[in-house]
Amino acid sequence: MAVTDQAKHSLKENPLAESGISSSLQALTLAALALPTLLDSTIAVAADDEMSFQYGYYQEGKRDLYGLPNQYKPIRVDSLNSSTDLKLADRINLSLNYIQDTWSGATPITTAQKGFMVESLSGASSHVNTGNSILVDKDFNPLEESYSDAGTLQYLNQAGDNQLVHMLTSASPETRKQVNAKLGYEWDEAAMNLGGGVSAEPDYNSYFINAGGRWDFNQKLTTLNAGLSFTNSDISAYKMPQASGYIDYSRQQSSNVSSDSQIIGNRQDWSGSLGLTQVLNKHAVISSTGTFMRGSGYLSNPYKAATFIFKDPNQDNGLYPKGVYQAELISALENRPDLRNQFAWDTKYVQYLSGIDGALHLGYQFFIDDWGINSHTFDLAWEQPLLAGWSVTPKFRYYSQSAADFYEPIYFFNQKKPETPSHSIDFGKLPIQNYSSDQRLSGFGALSGGISISKSFAKGIQLNAGFEYYSHAGAYKMGGGGENAYADFDYYLVNAGLNVELSALSSRTFSGNDHHAHHIAHHAAGAPSGVMFEHTLDQAGDVMVGYRYMYGRQAGNMMQGDSNVSDSIVAQQACGNSGCSLRPGYMNMHMHMLDLMYAPTDWLTLMLMPQFVDMNMTLESLGGGDSEIHRHSTGGVGDLGMYALFKLFDMDGHHLHTAMGFSAPTGEADIKLNAGAHQHEGSSNSADGGYIHYGMQTGSGTWDFKPSLTYNGQYAQWLWGGQINGTVRMESQNDTGYAFGDILQTSAWGGYQLTNWLSATIRGIYTVQGTVRHEFNGYHPRYANVDDPGNYGGRFWDVGFGIRAVVPSGNLAGNSFGFEWLQPVADDFNGYQLQREGALSANWSFAF
Amino acid sequence: MRRTQWRLKLVFALTLLAMTACTPVQPWERGVLAKPQMALTPNTGNSGLVSHVYGSREAAPASSGDAGGGGCGCY
Repeated sequence: MAVTDQAKHSLKENPLAESGISSSLQALTLAALALPTLLDSTIAVAADDEMSFQYGYYQEGKRDLYGLPNQYKPIRVDSLNSSTDLKLADRINLSLNYIQDTWSGATPITTAQKGFMVESLSGASSHVNTGNSILVDKDFNPLEESYSDAGTLQYLNQAGDNQLVHMLTSASPETRKQVNAKLGYEWDEAAMNLGGGVSAEPDYNSYFINAGGRWDFNQKLTTLNAGLSFTNSDISAYKMPQASGYIDYSRQQSSNVSSDSQIIGNRQDWSGSLGLTQVLNKHAVISSTGTFMRGSGYLSNPYKAATFIFKDPNQDNGLYPKGVYQAELISALENRPDLRNQFAWDTKYVQYLSGIDGALHLGYQFFIDDWGINSHTFDLAWEQPLLAGWSVTPKFRYYSQSAADFYEPIYFFNQKKPETPSHSIDFGKLPIQNYSSDQRLSGFGALSGGISISKSFAKGIQLNAGFEYYSHAGAYKMGGGGENAYADFDYYLVNAGLNVELSALSSRTFSGNDHHAHHIAHHAAGAPSGVMFEHTLDQAGDVMVGYRYMYGRQAGNMMQGDSNVSDSIVAQQACGNSGCSLRPGYMNMHMHMLDLMYAPTDWLTLMLMPQFVDMNMTLESLGGGDSEIHRHSTGGVGDLGMYALFKLFDMDGHHLHTAMGFSAPTGEADIKLNAGAHQHEGSSNSADGGYIHYGMQTGSGTWDFKPSLTYNGQYAQWLWGGQINGTVRMESQNDTGYAFGDILQTSAWGGYQLTNWLSATIRGIYTVQGTVRHEFNGYHPRYANVDDPGNYGGRFWDVGFGIRAVVPSGNLAGNSFGFEWLQPVADDFNGYQLQREGALSANWSFAF
Repeated sequence: MRRTQWRLKLVFALTLLAMTACTPVQPWERGVLAKPQMALTPNTGNSGLVSHVYGSREAAPASSGDAGGGGCGCY
């Protein structure tokens, strides 16, 4: 599914919003500034330098399996999106965008009548009775063999057996990351942009390039837009371990696009669009865009299968009475056509509601493709600004699509199974070429509604939040004839975000006070980037917004204490009595943190720090056995930090402050692997693969107390400082039974201000952390050293090399950027652990 | 298919009609049009996320953008 990333640029899509800048109209607009309504609009126009962070949480409801057991958790996705728009020069814009999604949970893999399903012995899930002979009547209704009261064999179609149900499989967490950039140039009445990016996930890697243009004419009442994009995607999907044995992968093998364990494919997607935006009158705008898309290559979903039932109508095996047939049931990986031409036509209409200063947005999209799908989308939103910077937007949407020509929930063949000499299915002799039972290609409708609210603060900051509920149902299909109710599902999506208008901030803060200049000096001489709670705000009413990124990597040798150990010792000793079968190859941790600070008084600064965490690692086999590399990843919201910083001593050149606060367990400490993740150990039939190890959980699970004491000194160009900080777990164990060890860290640094905008620092850090206390109170197999609570923490010495730059002038004046690399110098691990390679800290902050 | 063509014609006709209904708007009369709530895609951080989800759940593209990317969305 190519998902378009309609980045941002609300203002850019409004030709008038943009036309205000550097055009001949500017003079006229300025002349009209006396009018109060236009004053607002020019502020909006000035938002060329903008930074935004957006978090989204998607949660699907549980599927109805009509009485079959379903212990899987439904799909959930945690998304993080951060974007920056910068005006590099008068007419040149750069936008950078980063998206990260982590998803996990259960999804339908195929569909069959309930009578063709087998309930799993472990009670976890049900699967299609693949490869076995089943009994059906002449119309493919499932039959069950039983004895009648008179003691004779009978074949009955039981109530409920004809009900279609999904077979679900569940996936361990996986993370996708996307980075893209767009560079734009503007003329007075036209604009052009070029962009591109990459999207990476373990089984699907894409790169894409795009180009777009805009041309205003008819006194800027009419705007023509055109765009072109190309996406190349490489698919290397692992065959689903839980579905092995149920799915026939041989078609992919025979067509030479598969290795033993993977499905390899490539697809290419082109898209071209042409659109027109027209100002209708002072209060209304309409826009209409046609988009043609062409996809070619492997367009199937490598995680979906179609179920075939073959019944030879002429069979006579003498075993069953007349009217009872033996049929063969097989699930095969879905196979969509390798070409898809699509056309979409979008129309949007915006009407100002003058009495209430609101705006009504109406949209309609018609879509058609050569797979036989057409769809209609109607949407309605009412944007209503309220008092004091608040605004509220209720939304409603209706979507309806017809099914693809080749879509069927299950495929019945009134013939013998065409066989290869090895008795597997001969796909070349099937009467159909393409087949898919993916609900996305079925006929259905969807109703959704939601609300978003936003609050703009005077200092160019906007907070927003939204909620949407979505209900997918065959019965909602326009004109009827949609898929049956077994495929219905719903989800909700919540999101929260922060927007910072950098240029609005700097122009405002520079207007007539030297408060700002003071900030610049303060931050350019600041502590190294990796030091948290490094400064307080200066004055009551000050606000700071920052973003902090930390990356840490472990890779290389296995160590015991301070020395390297061989794999054979790890295998024998690192997992307690039973020994280890695996060791980590590497482990990466990424943390994205928002740094929000506010000073209610001169001596107190409050700080809120939401986090987003993602981790990935490999596990390798220790000493023979299977040589497969296991990849694991997790991600999502981390623990939420809430702190108060108090100034203790503050005079020229010397600042001392303390921070007291808590970390709330908003992250997860109970993430599990799925069955099959540890399949090599023969546990594949278990419902769950057990908890993923302690270090891969996104939160501590405990309320933590985090005190710190920080000293900053400065004389002429020299700066120095020190900090001692701690993390004390306030609970001896979390809900899943364990608690991480307490942490004590001390660091001292010195630095030199090289220019008025650049400083460099060097820092020494010593960290002590205890082992994990207690252990998981649920199933948690010990395969590797990381599964043992004793193999956590230790004593670590690092040296940090940092630089910090503060933009001295221009639109972005006052923005501070810092980087620090932490180089491990010595390790003394508790137990057996993987060597540390280093850590990177980067942060951006802006105070005003 | 015939019904589809009919719908296309209707939408096209309505669009043409709308365009002929334009009244000239002088630059100093465009204050309302430049308000944030009048942008064609307002509240963009949110709408990007929402359309990303539609795109991974439905056959049609969620927005006729030319950006590319978005990943598999295979779940």
